[in-house]
Amino acid sequence: MRRGVGISGLQHVAAANDNYKKIGNEVKQSNLQSMKNQMELFRSKLEEFALKHKNEIRKDPEFRARFHQMCANIGVDPLASNKGVWAKTLGIGDFYYELGVQIVEACWATRESSGGLIELTVLLRYINRRRGKLADPVSEDDVIRAMKKIRVLGNGQFEIVTIGKQQYIRSVPGELSMDSNKILEQAQVKGFVSKSEVVKVPGWSNARTDAALEGMVKQGLAWVDDQAPGGERLYWFPCLAVNQQS
Amino acid sequence: MDGASAFPYPSFFSFPPYFTLQPVKETRDKQSTLWGELILSFCKHFKIFIIAVEEDSFTLFCNPSINRKLNLEARRSFLDDLVKEGNALWLDASHQKCLILWKKVQEWASLIHSFAKTYGLSDFVMSVEELSSGDDVRGTDLQGLHREILIRALKLLESQGKAKLFQGATPDEEGVKFI
Repeated sequence: MRRGVGISGLQHVAAANDNYKKIGNEVKQSNLQSMKNQMELFRSKLEEFALKHKNEIRKDPEFRARFHQMCANIGVDPLASNKGVWAKTLGIGDFYYELGVQIVEACWATRESSGGLIELTVLLRYINRRRGKLADPVSEDDVIRAMKKIRVLGNGQFEIVTIGKQQYIRSVPGELSMDSNKILEQAQVKGFVSKSEVVKVPGWSNARTDAALEGMVKQGLAWVDDQAPGGERLYWFPCLAVNQQS
Repeated sequence: MDGASAFPYPSFFSFPPYFTLQPVKETRDKQSTLWGELILSFCKHFKIFIIAVEEDSFTLFCNPSINRKLNLEARRSFLDDLVKEGNALWLDASHQKCLILWKKVQEWASLIHSFAKTYGLSDFVMSVEELSSGDDVRGTDLQGLHREILIRALKLLESQGKAKLFQGATPDEEGVKFI
């Protein structure tokens, strides 16, 4: 198309642009439609797959985790609804619902010894023991998924908290402050800290350290120990203790 | 101590902060409950009836393996809580000696009363001492029961009309008749 000059030229260009836009949209629409078709196909194939491997999904935590990953990749959440194929035929919703209940129960049972913050691996051990040898074993991945569902239960309760390299479940309301988190991270090595070692960390003044430690003592997350050799008060964290009373 | 290795110490016994009296009330309450239960089960296991608070002869208050022990204030605090629940009694005004009631006085009284019924001891006067050291009590909880508890239990039964105590010239001659 020859580029015209003057008003008529401009009109030509405008018309050409409109045409391109229209064609562009049509192409987009048809792409979108075929993409939708593809997704539907994936979805129904996935349902087929799930039905066929229903038992494996229930019994094998690793297989289950991979299945979830597959679902996530195409935007399907088998736990999103109580209705439909997922819930009715596979009963996956039930599985996670039950697990959610068991998690809440486990948090309550161990609250005394853990102060409301319990290591994920410890919680998992407790739950699998309670479920018994005959039940399908659950994995950390399962617990994390179930946690997402039960989060709605609390006011900031039942959160997963990462401290250092470990993951913990917090089952009491109230945010774990950044400072508390930092102190727990430091305490992870020995299970306790002293004020003098916290103050050595850059940015930690006497006042800040006092406030953080006292806060954790008040919350019941920290217990004091006045008999350490050397005489300085130590702060111990039951939630970090390896031998949880479970 | 006989059978010391056989006593199942709970895991908190190896956790150093449990030997320091906790300043925060909620935490201290948890601590006191755990220690209270431990004291009762330890005393029941070894048939200890009296704790002399200031002496280390009662080994439960120390754990040498972690180099920790309960101080006097902590010991008295946990024992005071047991007293509040009816599971202990101070035997002196200065709170040096504590009588431990892993069974409460009423429970001991019921046990004695049903023992008496089992052996058809009604209307038969027996010496108080027999109730804790006679042949018939061997192997039962009554064996070795401390006199302080025994007398209190019998007095309770007396007040309930289930027994009658007789004073003798000496403690050996104290008698009881079950009704």
